[in-house]
Amino acid sequence: MNAAVWTYLAYLAISVALTVWVAQTLHKNGRVFLVDSFHGNEALADSINHLLLVGFYLINIGYVALAMKYGDKPTDLQGVLEALSTKVGAVLLILGAMHFFNLYVFSKMRRRALLNGAPPPIPPHAHVPVAGR
Amino acid sequence: MRTLFVLYDANCAFCRHCRIWLAQQAAFVPLSFIPFQSPEIACRFPGIEEFHPEERLVVVSDEGELWRGEEAWIMCLWALRDYREWSLRLAMPPLRSLARRVCELVSDHRHLLSRWFAKDPPEVLRRKLAELPLTVPTDTGTCNSR
Repeated sequence: MNAAVWTYLAYLAISVALTVWVAQTLHKNGRVFLVDSFHGNEALADSINHLLLVGFYLINIGYVALAMKYGDKPTDLQGVLEALSTKVGAVLLILGAMHFFNLYVFSKMRRRALLNGAPPPIPPHAHVPVAGR
Repeated sequence: MRTLFVLYDANCAFCRHCRIWLAQQAAFVPLSFIPFQSPEIACRFPGIEEFHPEERLVVVSDEGELWRGEEAWIMCLWALRDYREWSLRLAMPPLRSLARRVCELVSDHRHLLSRWFAKDPPEVLRRKLAELPLTVPTDTGTCNSR
């Protein structure tokens, strides 16, 4: 096996491990947020949480797989390290962007849920009798 | 709150356009439109005249809570799914006074504004109104028989 293959293997291992770590963090900590957003409906929150997790894995591992062959082919140890850092750095940036996008989705869901139950912002000017009540 | 009754001016083309726009929006609380000229008003909400719905927009909830002027406009937005966030913003002091001035200006000049909206011939307006879902509930008591 030459240096390029070692780079690929290390790149895949590091990238997939990072993806799993970020996905699990989001999955574990996002749940509380989602349960609150869906007014305590845990089944719905778990379902949405799982769907988001699947999407997260698909996009990230898809990117990792696509980006594998791009870049210089290293021939020595220095080249391997440089290629690895560039590739892993790109994966980290993509993961960071996806992470913030997920947070945005969570907060949007929560804001919408809170709006749904928001009381009138202004107390009534007066009360009138309503016929037929 | 199950319904918000909007007492609008049926003789004002601008108000009728607002009514059409409001009815087309997705709502958290269904809006029900009644012209203030309708005899149904006095029957459904006895004593409503003292709040002068002919001067400012008046909205009344099915529980009898009444809002008037800019408060009524903000409550209309509050009832809508896509505009509730804006209603909360407009209800805060800095924007509230601006909302009040705009609403007073619009209410006082609504017939002037109507000239811009009166271009639709009556049949087009009738068709637009016919396309809207029927929003006045038909099971709320004795008023419909009048």
